[in-house]
Amino acid sequence: MAAGRPGARAELALSAGVLALGIAAATVAFGLPDTASYARIGPNFMPRVVAGGLVACGLWLLAEALTGGWRDAVPESPAERGDHPACWRAFAWVTAGLFAQMALIHTAGFVVAAAVLFACVARGFGSMRPLRDAAGGLLLGIALFLFFVQFLNVNLPAGWLQPLLGAAGT
Amino acid sequence: MLQSLGGGFGVALAPMNLLWGFVGVTLGTAIGVLPGVGPALTVAMLLPLTVKLEPTGALIMFAGIYYGAMYGGSTTAILLNTPGESASIATALEGNRMAKRGRAGPALATSAIGSFVAGTIAVLLLTVLAPLVVEVALKFGPAEYFALMVFAFVTVAAVLGSSMARGLSMLFLGLLLGLVGIDEQTGQMRFAFGVPELMDGVDVVVLAVGLFAVGEALYVATYQSRQREELERMSGSLWMSKDDWRRSWPAWLRATAIGFPFGTIPAGGAEIPTFLSYAVEKKLSRHPEEFGHGAIEGVAGPEAANNASSTGVLVPLLTLGIPTSATAAILLAAFQNYGIQPGPLLFQTQSALVWGLIASMYVGNVLLLVLNLPLIGLWVKVLMIPRPVLYGGILVFATLGAYSLHQSVVDLVTLYVFGLLGFIMRRRGFPVAPAVIGLILGPLAESQFRRALAISQGDPSVFLSHPISAGLLALTALLVVVPWLVRVVRERRARRGPLARAPGG
Repeated sequence: MAAGRPGARAELALSAGVLALGIAAATVAFGLPDTASYARIGPNFMPRVVAGGLVACGLWLLAEALTGGWRDAVPESPAERGDHPACWRAFAWVTAGLFAQMALIHTAGFVVAAAVLFACVARGFGSMRPLRDAAGGLLLGIALFLFFVQFLNVNLPAGWLQPLLGAAGT
Repeated sequence: MLQSLGGGFGVALAPMNLLWGFVGVTLGTAIGVLPGVGPALTVAMLLPLTVKLEPTGALIMFAGIYYGAMYGGSTTAILLNTPGESASIATALEGNRMAKRGRAGPALATSAIGSFVAGTIAVLLLTVLAPLVVEVALKFGPAEYFALMVFAFVTVAAVLGSSMARGLSMLFLGLLLGLVGIDEQTGQMRFAFGVPELMDGVDVVVLAVGLFAVGEALYVATYQSRQREELERMSGSLWMSKDDWRRSWPAWLRATAIGFPFGTIPAGGAEIPTFLSYAVEKKLSRHPEEFGHGAIEGVAGPEAANNASSTGVLVPLLTLGIPTSATAAILLAAFQNYGIQPGPLLFQTQSALVWGLIASMYVGNVLLLVLNLPLIGLWVKVLMIPRPVLYGGILVFATLGAYSLHQSVVDLVTLYVFGLLGFIMRRRGFPVAPAVIGLILGPLAESQFRRALAISQGDPSVFLSHPISAGLLALTALLVVVPWLVRVVRERRARRGPLARAPGG
């Protein structure tokens, strides 16, 4: 049946995802204590309504997916969308940059993490000059660090550059 | 009113506020020009500044970013054929053709002047209308507010956009995220699962920046980063000929009449009025054959419409506290950061702030005309920033905005999760605005709902016995049911159609 259509699997998976989120939310919502005061409406009422809405939407999407596909779906072929074929290497570079930043920010510090993120993202967008990109990211990171620490009094981790940036800190 | 507005100008022209207004409109033009950064994202990334700035200056700046982006978007649409904002898609249709024929100058000029005319008329309308709406709104009780919010939810999620099912899914997702954390009335913890970062709730900065910045970067990297872009040269004089003027000004005025009302109702921003204005101009034009080859009315109309509607959005936001677009929802979050709740009382308790904000928009539109006409060359340079550098910078700013909330890596992880979600949503055509509006407006709707029932002592008929509330709820139901019925009938007819016509070929 519908499974042969391009994009059918993604639509089925996402519909099921919405449905599953609704069911999970309902489980939590019906486990909430009923501490309604005098107006009969407690903190568990809205969660039930919202969970019900998600379940309904999940079923609706599922029904559409099984009967000829989602209505007004985004075209499956990249050319029709004005895109080029998916380049997952670019996706991976951007993801790698964000994960590297999470790993580095508390050890190497905000500035180094920002430089690595900047260089990875630039690489993902097709730049072939990693050193220049890293240097650019480093400068941007330093500027933002100084602005946040000095002007906004928001503390950012200096990390490895503590000796250099330490004087600017609070 | 004139007295209030006069006082407002006193506030808006104070040197510091003038400076923040200037920063706002300049930043707004810049991010309007840059593809991949919109006003919703920019204001979200700048929300952490609210800890440091005083409210009037900050809100003047944020509003400046919002309407400034509508000016900047046209430059990208005309010179690059890639709309800088979704509100400029209609502009790109004719604007880029004009540029290809060496008429980039007049196209940019009619956009800037049209934006100024429409923006200024719209602020005038805002000035006159706001106090009138406030007078009505002062009579609203919790039941009316709740009905109004339901109306806003449903129009933004179900009526706009291509698919009701996907729009409503995103609305309920936003509402669910809005429920996370401590329930204000009872102290009950909901959907936090014992994670300390979740107890304060999901921050709008993380959601908006994740969906708009990380999701967009992932999408563009995957599907659009290997494309070549053609930047049209800024050729030809900026001056519009007599004929250009004659054809532009009626389009500006008609577009203002279309754009402003669309902004004031919950219609999800500026896309619909811009396309509507485009269609109207095409229909009324004495040169319909030029459409598709660079007709100046097709640029003048949509550009004026998006400015008028962006100002119109401030009517329900300031007078009722109802955001009707993603950016307006984030502006509402900015007010909340200061402990200010927009609504009719705002005009009494924070009169200086709100009239200062309105007055600053008269000033801002003049600044924008200067920024976008004589200084257009500067923005063309901004347009030439290489994409790798641009997106590298966007993500550094975006992650900083999320990280600075709690100095916690958890926020960065959440940001990436929302980024993945944004990527899938973009690829599969889920709208973003309902999720953001649901997150911000959901908790307010819940508290109005419970307050209404507390007043009526638990009697749910309160929503139907108050005429305004009942009317709004009935209208909401109609908005859902009628399009659905039309669709069912049409599908049934379409299924029968080919069979009936088959013998004739």
